[in-house]
Amino acid sequence: MTNWLRRYDLNPATGAVLISLWLFFLAFMIYPLGHVFSNAFFTPDGFSLAFIRLMFSSPNYTIILANSVNLGLAVTLFATLLSLPLAFFLVRYNFPGKGLLNGLILVPIVLPPFVGAIGMRQLLARFGSVNLLLLQLGIIDQPIDWLGGGSFWGVVILESLHLYPILYLNLAAALANVDPSLEEAARNLGANGFKLFRTVTFPLVLPGYFAGAIIVFIWAFTDLGTPLVFEYRDVIAVQIFNMVTDLHQNPMGYAFVVVVIALTLFFFYLSKRILGGGNYEMLGRGHVTSLARPASPGMTVIAYSVVLSISALALIPHTGVLLTSLTKRWFLSVLPTEYTLKFYQDVFSHDLTVLSIKNSLMLSSVSTLFDIILGVTIAYLLARKRVPGRGVLDALAMLPLALPGLVLAFGYVAAFSATPLDPRINPVPLLVIAYAVRRLPYMVRAAYAGFQQTSVALEEASINLGASPMKTLFQITMPLIFANLIAGAVLAFSFAMLEVSDSLILASKEANYPITKAIYALLGRIADGPYIASAMGMLGLLLLSGSLFIAGRFFGRRMGEIFRA
Amino acid sequence: MTVSVKLESVAKTLGRSQAVDKLSLEIAAGELFFLLGPSGCGKTTALRLIAGFYTPEEGRILFNDTDQSHVPPHKRNTGMVFQNYALWPHMDVQDNVAYGLKMRRVSEGEKQQRVRHALEIVQMQAYAKRMPNQLSGGQQQRVALARALVIEPDVVLLDEPLSNLDAKLRIEMRTQIKDIHRKIGRTMIYVTHDQAEALSMADRIAVMRRGQLVQAGTPRQLYTQPESAFVAQFIGGTNLLRGTLEEVGEFLAVRTHAGLVRAKNGVNGLVRGAPVFCSVRPESLRLMTAAAPCAAAQDGAINQLSAEVRSVMYLGDNEEYSLTLADNTIMRAVEHNPTTSKASVGDRLALQFDAQAVVVLPQEDLGD
Repeated sequence: MTNWLRRYDLNPATGAVLISLWLFFLAFMIYPLGHVFSNAFFTPDGFSLAFIRLMFSSPNYTIILANSVNLGLAVTLFATLLSLPLAFFLVRYNFPGKGLLNGLILVPIVLPPFVGAIGMRQLLARFGSVNLLLLQLGIIDQPIDWLGGGSFWGVVILESLHLYPILYLNLAAALANVDPSLEEAARNLGANGFKLFRTVTFPLVLPGYFAGAIIVFIWAFTDLGTPLVFEYRDVIAVQIFNMVTDLHQNPMGYAFVVVVIALTLFFFYLSKRILGGGNYEMLGRGHVTSLARPASPGMTVIAYSVVLSISALALIPHTGVLLTSLTKRWFLSVLPTEYTLKFYQDVFSHDLTVLSIKNSLMLSSVSTLFDIILGVTIAYLLARKRVPGRGVLDALAMLPLALPGLVLAFGYVAAFSATPLDPRINPVPLLVIAYAVRRLPYMVRAAYAGFQQTSVALEEASINLGASPMKTLFQITMPLIFANLIAGAVLAFSFAMLEVSDSLILASKEANYPITKAIYALLGRIADGPYIASAMGMLGLLLLSGSLFIAGRFFGRRMGEIFRA
Repeated sequence: MTVSVKLESVAKTLGRSQAVDKLSLEIAAGELFFLLGPSGCGKTTALRLIAGFYTPEEGRILFNDTDQSHVPPHKRNTGMVFQNYALWPHMDVQDNVAYGLKMRRVSEGEKQQRVRHALEIVQMQAYAKRMPNQLSGGQQQRVALARALVIEPDVVLLDEPLSNLDAKLRIEMRTQIKDIHRKIGRTMIYVTHDQAEALSMADRIAVMRRGQLVQAGTPRQLYTQPESAFVAQFIGGTNLLRGTLEEVGEFLAVRTHAGLVRAKNGVNGLVRGAPVFCSVRPESLRLMTAAAPCAAAQDGAINQLSAEVRSVMYLGDNEEYSLTLADNTIMRAVEHNPTTSKASVGDRLALQFDAQAVVVLPQEDLGD
């Protein structure tokens, strides 16, 4: 026993902190998930696979399952097709204006896709701008149904355009990480061109690719906002959303969530083990020279056209939202005929919107504060202390990356109904916790990176000179990892501001609506709803672009690591 | 106040290895004391135990007979110089040095005066406003020293402070640290794996191996009276001839495969028939060309073995010879101030050394 304990750095304070962390994860991750599982498998008559069996035997349900999986796969595929050429050109070639293009690529991520859907509808509807333009130009004589029957492709397009930057960041990082000497060695031994790519570059980039691809897949697979706006109801996310309200009459909701978790884990496992093949440590990295070579004028033109056309495509929803937010009159014309800033004023005078902005600011600030405290503590324990259950703590802190917001929110509603935390009575505590849990990995990663970069000797030197460990934390460690903390906190805050699925599910009363739920509610209002919603979406976009810009300054090239599993 | 430091059979495991194993040391107040040993011998662990970064699992650590074993590091009043200096990159030189005084709530005026004085001692007063990344390695090292000294610590702890400096600067800094020690007169405990550093600076040295103390003494004692083959080899380097002890008397006689070796010195308690090493320092070996055999060889006071030259290395102030004996044992010989080369590769000659220069030591395994 004493020998076992001796291997760890344990004192009463560390022990207390560790126990509180375990309790937190137990209460807000393990218990809600466990609750969902037990309800999916246990009826009053005992253990039963009836619900799960029903899920896979009833054609109604199997179609829904297939739709969601197809949605995830299609989005991942499209995002790959978009990001692969981008990563290739931007990592391997140097040309003027590269930094600017690099920034342009990241822009799409700053708009929640369900807001983009508003703009998309406006532009690609049957009598939307694109069709009208083509009709006017005489290119077509019948309006084209761009968004496809049932809207499946509409959702796919929108989510692909939103999510490809995540894949791009991962691919670019992976490509840039390939030690040039490995390719040189292959070339020296006679490989070149496609053979070189297939035998050396591709296998080395693959783990990085799958780390990003799994995030994209899970995101699309469980996205709630976009299908809702497109009124594409036959996907798991929308079904679960609808079942939250009659949770206690209809246990199929639990079964759906269990299937989502199982499928998520399955694809996660697939990406990690079978396809990713583990991470290759780049061995013996000496002086890493840049892989990028100057592009010839021809290559520059190609690179520009690729990046600009993809970005133009990706910015269609944004343009649509922007135009919608400025529209005074827009009926059967390519562009609005009259413009106004009225809806921006409305955002700041309308009761629902003002309240929701206040709510979101409050909820996100408190959840970010939670994240800072939790994230720094966890990162500190992981980086600086030998504690029992270290691996499990690490896994739990990172789990939210792979845990859809939908699942978490559903679990909270299910587990905490009729408790003091009941979200139907007061959703604020659970909203804060849900936001905090969802964005915790960003904070842990940011802080952990900071601790890793800061030599322990710097802390020891301070303690040696008479500063208590607490004083050392505030005088030495915190200032040194400050940049990391800011970057992590900015990301946690801005993503919390625009959190969709947990907000839609948990915020049950209008008085507590955060921004995203307010936008969703506004969309249902016939008259000015979509316009005010768009104006609000634009403000959200500005907030998130500003935050990503700040975070990017701190993280630099390692930005991609934030979005990887 | 400067204190004496005492370790009473202190033990500490790190992970699965016994980093420090029943280590006992007594360091007098004001002494410049060295912990010397190969990497992984536990010397840094011992230093960190004294600083309080580790708590001993067994035994006690005393400053002036006060038990410190469970005093947290920030209350021990030791000043430590870290191997990589550990200067805080977000503070300038002055703030780095003032830090310990701030923690001790020293008044502003006194603080400034003491910081200035500490920087003067290390000759860095001109750099007070620089940031650490604007300093060279040697300058950073001196700031780290000032930061440790300014708090007037009971003990100054130095963890391989010179290992990151280039060879020339390292030798300069030896003198400077010794001067500073003389000036401030505080107990200093200095960890190094560089035996030349230890020999040239220390009042006393403790040689450590595998977490244990092997031998402690003044540099001269360790060099001339090693108690084990490990110490003889680690301090200064030596030739070890494997043999069996044949006679114990006025001289010790050892039968080796290369011939009989007589010795004047040996550790106590060796019995006839014991497997032993004869330790002979390279500078004690004399190369005698075979043409002029020395009559004195018949006298028991001088040993003579025949050898063949394998290689010659001219180093300017020294010339180093590598020779093989009859049983293929390799011997290293050093000739100081070589005006002309004594021998060339392939020469057969006689290797002479005084019995006075031979120390007989028990055989042991010599790995780390």
